[in-house]
Amino acid sequence: MGTWQNIKAVIGREFRILRNRPLYLVGTVGVITFCTVFFLSLMRDGLPHDIPVGTVDLDGSSISREFVRQLDATQLSEVVHYPSFEQAREDLVSGRISAVCLLPEGLGEDINANRQPKITFYVNGLYFVSGALSWKSLLLMTNLTNGAVQRQVLRAKGYNDDAIMGMIRPVDIDTHQIGNTTTNYSYYLCNVLLPAILEMIVIIILIYSLGAELKFGTSRHLLDTAGGSILNALAGKLIVWTGIFSTIGFILVLILYHQLHFPMAGSIWNMFLAIFLLVVASEAVAIFILEMLPVPRLALSVGALYSVLGFSLAGFTLPLEAMTPWIQGLGSIFPIRHYYLFYVQEAIFGAGFAGWWKEVVWLLCFLFVPLLGLQRLKKAYIYQNYPKD
Amino acid sequence: MMQYIKQWLRDWRDIMMHELHQIFHDGGVLLIFFVAGLLYPLLYNVIYMNGILEDTPVAVVDDAACSDSRRFIREIDATREVRVAAKCVNMAEAERLMQERKVNGIIRFPSDFGRKLAEGQTAVFSVYADMSSFLYYKNALMATNFVMLHEIGSIQMERFAAAGLTDQAALQSVKPVQYEDNNPFNRAFDYGFFLISAILMLIIQQTMFYGMSLLVGTARERNHSFASLPDKLEGNGVVRVVLGRGAAYWLLYLAIGAYITFIVPAIFGIPQRGTFTDVLALLVIFVTDCVFFSMTCSTVITRRESVFVLFLAISPVAIFLTGCSWPSVAFPAFWKVVSWFFPSTFAVQGFINLSTAGGDIAAAATQIRALTVQTIVFFFLACAAVYVENWVIRHREMLRERREQLAVRVGIDREKDHRIITGR
Repeated sequence: MGTWQNIKAVIGREFRILRNRPLYLVGTVGVITFCTVFFLSLMRDGLPHDIPVGTVDLDGSSISREFVRQLDATQLSEVVHYPSFEQAREDLVSGRISAVCLLPEGLGEDINANRQPKITFYVNGLYFVSGALSWKSLLLMTNLTNGAVQRQVLRAKGYNDDAIMGMIRPVDIDTHQIGNTTTNYSYYLCNVLLPAILEMIVIIILIYSLGAELKFGTSRHLLDTAGGSILNALAGKLIVWTGIFSTIGFILVLILYHQLHFPMAGSIWNMFLAIFLLVVASEAVAIFILEMLPVPRLALSVGALYSVLGFSLAGFTLPLEAMTPWIQGLGSIFPIRHYYLFYVQEAIFGAGFAGWWKEVVWLLCFLFVPLLGLQRLKKAYIYQNYPKD
Repeated sequence: MMQYIKQWLRDWRDIMMHELHQIFHDGGVLLIFFVAGLLYPLLYNVIYMNGILEDTPVAVVDDAACSDSRRFIREIDATREVRVAAKCVNMAEAERLMQERKVNGIIRFPSDFGRKLAEGQTAVFSVYADMSSFLYYKNALMATNFVMLHEIGSIQMERFAAAGLTDQAALQSVKPVQYEDNNPFNRAFDYGFFLISAILMLIIQQTMFYGMSLLVGTARERNHSFASLPDKLEGNGVVRVVLGRGAAYWLLYLAIGAYITFIVPAIFGIPQRGTFTDVLALLVIFVTDCVFFSMTCSTVITRRESVFVLFLAISPVAIFLTGCSWPSVAFPAFWKVVSWFFPSTFAVQGFINLSTAGGDIAAAATQIRALTVQTIVFFFLACAAVYVENWVIRHREMLRERREQLAVRVGIDREKDHRIITGR
């Protein structure tokens, strides 16, 4: 039989394995579907709203009540009223509210009498996002209150509204968020999280698929089917799996950039390329792990430990440059890191080839890694001389 | 009666010792328990050690080129969040630097900036933030806002004075209301605190679950069950099996858990403001909960490796369900309910409140109550699982026949498939 016939035989065999073990289907399509639905629906609002903020109004004047009403009216915050600071503090520590705003007694009178009263707020910064957002909204409210008081004073002095604006707000910032104009959390995280989960699935499933031949003692038969060539055997298996994984990847890209219109400065076609490269590079990692450790159970544990690190070391949450130098280097050994950098160039800056060609080279380099251990894997497949489970 | 208790204790001890023996004679499980359980907390702490991103490089395009804009630039450069890495002549140059990722933000002063300030109008400058990481955005925003607020104060003083207010009156008008902001538990808005706590608690739960599932899968592959009851008990003794096996993991994980909750934070200087006994109480109930949770969930594992294939992706999902990224108050109702299923959801929040924020036990009362309810529910589920498992073992033949019939009905020739796959 020629090489192609051998490969075809392996492909046919692989499809039979697939339909006999539903685990494969659940582990790929099932897991990615669940995660996609989970992350996209969890953060579907884009920005959290109605975050509970505690207020302790010891004043009860019209000014303090107006402050509380305005705060409640913002989309970001929802006010929870407390009669005393002690209760509010307890709820702040236990995370039920993300901030407490203390309006002191005599606030209204002091403002009118120019005594410069002080509003105090406490933020629970441990609950990071809700804390930061509440802090921002409290700061805004205080500045608005200041502005309102100043406007009254200046109006009484006979200034027109244009001049007043210049007095109240002499400097302003206009902010542009490049690549995510609405500060959408889902855009920020799902763009990289879902491909990272795909990477994880590729690594685990492929290690399992290749390792199962050892585990069930079918590796010799696999080599026979492939005409005694480990390359044919891998080619046959990889054609099937690359097809499945890239289809999943392409659907993912379509869902994100076509269906849900995630921001895309460049072209969706380049993202197809990126996700395809992510898939094949991850496959290379999986093969390499099994070659070095042809014991399915250990290889899977190592693959699991490796792929969970990818989420942190892709550097899309805490940027890599904030980490210790040797950890920064470690980032390069994760395909998802290069996928992330590719995505930044393509989707955020629309830089095209000039922006991401280095990442393509990186991802292609992964493909050479499994060549190192091919003979080792072949020997393991022939002699089956490693512990089986 | 005495006889029964004695027998019960003897069985319990035998089952526990057997389970411990299994754990310590399995490389895969040891790898998960000791490499993941002991080294990963350290590794993650090293990764997130500097949870504060400082001195984000930004480019400045100064079209105004006046003393005011230069002062602004100096002040922005002096903030902790941002440093001016490049001064560009036009936006195109700055955009190129940002695309090359040499800077992560651009600050631009328009040509009328100085004139508007001099004329008493609102002078606007622009910030362009690279959204590839929210921390770049946060830094650019915080630095410019600090500088703006600070400048507003002094500029207003001048303008109010020019408007004829006396110094004292101007001062009072600039800030009719003062404010004081406190962020007592996380002064520098360190991104790492919550995430690290979430990761630490999750490592306890997930490694226990994966390790236990590996052993369950192995036992089933070797054709005896994780839950098979000693024959002499004649079908009784479900509780003995559950408590016996549980005790093995419980003991092991009290040690690993104490290391993760007390020693690791101390090594990396994560605030430990809680009292020892409070945190210990939380840990004990969390570990107990995790044991029964893992026992319940690992029942679905039929083969040794399938736990990773099916459930590895649960780790990132469970991390998000703790609310460490997207706040849990903003969860859709459905996922809120799903989050109650995982012990980690409550343990992480409890741990943050007790240990990092330094609340008293009341601050974690809700979470501890929830963990207790979970423990009880999962205990009964684990018992039910053992009961069902034994039923399945006794009816194995019947189930196999059913499966064959199903294959025939769907039209799969299992024998032919088997021959092609294995060659036998």
